[in-house]
Amino acid sequence: MKIINNRNIYKAAFILSFIVISIFTLFGMAKILDYLNTGADRSAMLHLETKSEDVYLPKVTWTKLENPARKMEKNTLGKIERDYLFSWHIKNKALQNNTPKGIDDYYTMNTRDNLYKVIQHNKAQEITIENTTLKHFPELEFYSEDGQLVVFTDKNVIEFQKIYLNKKLLTTVQDTATYKVMMLLEDGYWRVRHFQKMEPSPFVKDSIQPEPEYSIQEDKILKNKKQFVIKGINYYPKNSAWDTFGEQFRKDTIAKDFDIIKKSNLNSIRVFIQYDDFGKANINPEKMVKLKTLLDLAAAKNLGVMVTLFDFYSDYSLDSWTLTHRHAEQIVSTFKDHKAIIAWDLKNEPNLDFENRGKENVLQWLDHMVTVIRENDPNHLITIGWSNSVAASQLADKVDFVSYHFYNDIKHLEYETNTLIKTVKKPVVIQEFGVPSYGGIWNLWESSLENQAQYHQKMQAYFKKNNYSFMSWTLYDFPKVPDQVAGKWPWQKNRQKQFGFIDVKGKNKPAYKYISN
Amino acid sequence: MKKIAVILLCICCLVVFAVVKTTNTAATIKLDTSQKKFTAGTPILIQFSSLRVVKNADLFLIHSYGKTIVKGKVDKNKLRFSIPELYAKKTGTVSWYLIQDRKNIAAGQFEIVPNDATPTLIENYLGPTTILTGQDHYTMMVAIPTDSYDNPKTDNTTVFIKDQFLDDITVTTKKTADFIAWKNIYSRTASGKMLISTQCNTALSKEFETDITPSIATNFTIDYARNHQFADGNQITRLRTSVIKDQFGNLVGDGTLVTFQVTTKNNIFLKTFAATINGVAIAQLLHPDHQEIYTVKAYVTGMAESKPIQIAYQALIRDFPYQFLEKNRKIVVGPLTSFMNQIVPDGIKVELKIFHKNKLIETKIVESAKGLATFILLPPFYKQSAYQFEITTLGVTKKTETIPYENYQ
Repeated sequence: MKIINNRNIYKAAFILSFIVISIFTLFGMAKILDYLNTGADRSAMLHLETKSEDVYLPKVTWTKLENPARKMEKNTLGKIERDYLFSWHIKNKALQNNTPKGIDDYYTMNTRDNLYKVIQHNKAQEITIENTTLKHFPELEFYSEDGQLVVFTDKNVIEFQKIYLNKKLLTTVQDTATYKVMMLLEDGYWRVRHFQKMEPSPFVKDSIQPEPEYSIQEDKILKNKKQFVIKGINYYPKNSAWDTFGEQFRKDTIAKDFDIIKKSNLNSIRVFIQYDDFGKANINPEKMVKLKTLLDLAAAKNLGVMVTLFDFYSDYSLDSWTLTHRHAEQIVSTFKDHKAIIAWDLKNEPNLDFENRGKENVLQWLDHMVTVIRENDPNHLITIGWSNSVAASQLADKVDFVSYHFYNDIKHLEYETNTLIKTVKKPVVIQEFGVPSYGGIWNLWESSLENQAQYHQKMQAYFKKNNYSFMSWTLYDFPKVPDQVAGKWPWQKNRQKQFGFIDVKGKNKPAYKYISN
Repeated sequence: MKKIAVILLCICCLVVFAVVKTTNTAATIKLDTSQKKFTAGTPILIQFSSLRVVKNADLFLIHSYGKTIVKGKVDKNKLRFSIPELYAKKTGTVSWYLIQDRKNIAAGQFEIVPNDATPTLIENYLGPTTILTGQDHYTMMVAIPTDSYDNPKTDNTTVFIKDQFLDDITVTTKKTADFIAWKNIYSRTASGKMLISTQCNTALSKEFETDITPSIATNFTIDYARNHQFADGNQITRLRTSVIKDQFGNLVGDGTLVTFQVTTKNNIFLKTFAATINGVAIAQLLHPDHQEIYTVKAYVTGMAESKPIQIAYQALIRDFPYQFLEKNRKIVVGPLTSFMNQIVPDGIKVELKIFHKNKLIETKIVESAKGLATFILLPPFYKQSAYQFEITTLGVTKKTETIPYENYQ
């Protein structure tokens, strides 16, 4: 039984082992070469302009630049501001992680010792503090003739912090203080030399009177001082569901849709702005043009628009606060005088993030966001689109009117809405409601075109009876729904595709008859 | 429905109860420490008291340089917090928040002021460290007096700023504001060194220096000197500026570059440069090798200039001999003699233009040696039967007859 030739096996084994050893040797040599090539990039020694990502963007307003010494150059001011904000960011991070990373770049030799001691002390006691500052109003006091020393007073810095002891949240504190700061130009960095906390200065009241088109009187929304009942619909163009301002944005498509909406006896729409899609802290101007086009079209057709911000945003951490503030600020201040806008809806169904992101985090974020939006746009109303009527009473004192989404059994509509109106004593808008017409194997033939029509008929009857403001979900059936909206499974997707009053082919479904009252 | 109503009612009750309870606690705890200002480096103790025995609490501090939590010490109805030393050493307002059971029940602030009992330190920044003479220029001295803990002194602290220039010593009293005391120290009309120092209490700074350098140059004149006036292409003419000064009579800094621009008869530009030493710049210019008139003007670029001067060069020779040797294949030019009949220095350019039937074939250039320049026309290259020549040297051109040559096979 000498089928297997031993010599050949040995030969093969020998050659194979040779190849394997060669591979390993080459690999090892590559690793060694790789290691020898690592280390700091030599150009880093020069401290050339470091390109920074947007990590920290609190609102900075220089209220005074006159000073008795040298005239401040715009370019230098930009560098000072950037390095000053970095000094805050580094300090915030140091307090949060109890590590001294980056401190020696933004604090001078004598000053950094103080921070090192603070970190040591907190680390020993297991104290960690998450911080962010929201606003800075620096006033230049002094800029030296040789351009290497600057003193300014940073007035009324609003600081927000979460204090943790042994990794457990102890409390949150918002503090306002003024800081006097001296910075020196060293090695191309503006570094903090002296830093002194002082009592805040009195705030100057804004004297600008807003001139809102829409306003609130008790539990009624008014338009030009007359009662306005929102009869609206949530709107995405048929072929760009959850992507209104995407590649498929067509002015004529939207104009046609607005005609349909107007003819259906509706007076308003709700649209969604995605945080990432609009460019996060650096708003993409292209998207703003599209938004303006949509708003202008709505104004031309006399439709009111409720603009929902921060769609698909779900990081409520203090790190991203200033970035989201700049996002909102740029959008709302651009459109603060736009006639088409009824209200800014801060966030769609934020209560769904309570579980994963922490209820406190979400509520504090929303609370501050209301302030940011109100400051930048005093002309339009503010609301939050809660996913149910129980959650909707939260922050009710901050918003102008309360919005909630009703997907419960129809018979609870009046009770839930009336209770909410009584609790919050503000206007209530049923901002989303609807049923799919989809009936198939995936939902055991739960619904049908007729069921959907009956549902809307009943709902409209209630709305008419109680004079409720409503916005139905949604104008169209969608041929495509992104995974992140409802889920990737067919029983989730198919249902979500068929909430519309008009089907994919553009034909009115039976429910269309009851789109309004 | 009723169930929900009942639950809601219960929640409401709880909220009300909680609010009432918090208010109670807050009302009962009272700040005992009435002191609002503490001196840096001294121990700081914040005490609260209550009518009943207090539960322990934490004090959250926001300080110029950091934030921390201080654990309280309970002593019956007293609650004491000792501020960590590192915070007590640095000045500024300190905000505190009293936290009990994860609620902020009281808040307030106190101030830490610099410790004037400790020795004063002083930090100085002087700049720019070179300035020009004149009324408009100044250097700025910034002094930051601090206590021993590196805390800037309070506003209105007196700082003396002293400066010396020649016999002139000035002491100015300045008050600090925004951490600093500062003064613009103006330049003088004479150049030189200015010494500056500061003093706050007993703290003395070191000596700082600012150089006062002359302002920009003012217009000047130029002159020239040369060995002889002949255009021998060999000697050097020295161009020399007058002493260049600024408007206050200070010599311009050594090394100020002066450009001499020369324009020839034919409007060709030549340039030569020199840097000043003790206000004078001397540049050199080679004599031309033919009769010439140079117009020279000097500039300190962008600042000052001279009036133009003219320099004339005489021709060295009027005529020169030449001869054809070795069947006319060798042309010897010279001997070239100079203004005293001496042989010209070696290296004078002699140019030979070779024509055949009035058409220029080639230009040869050689430099003279011992007054002679030799051209050799090798038969393989010059095969024609006749050539005519034009010889130029030292600005003189001579044209020969048509010279016959034997045919080359």
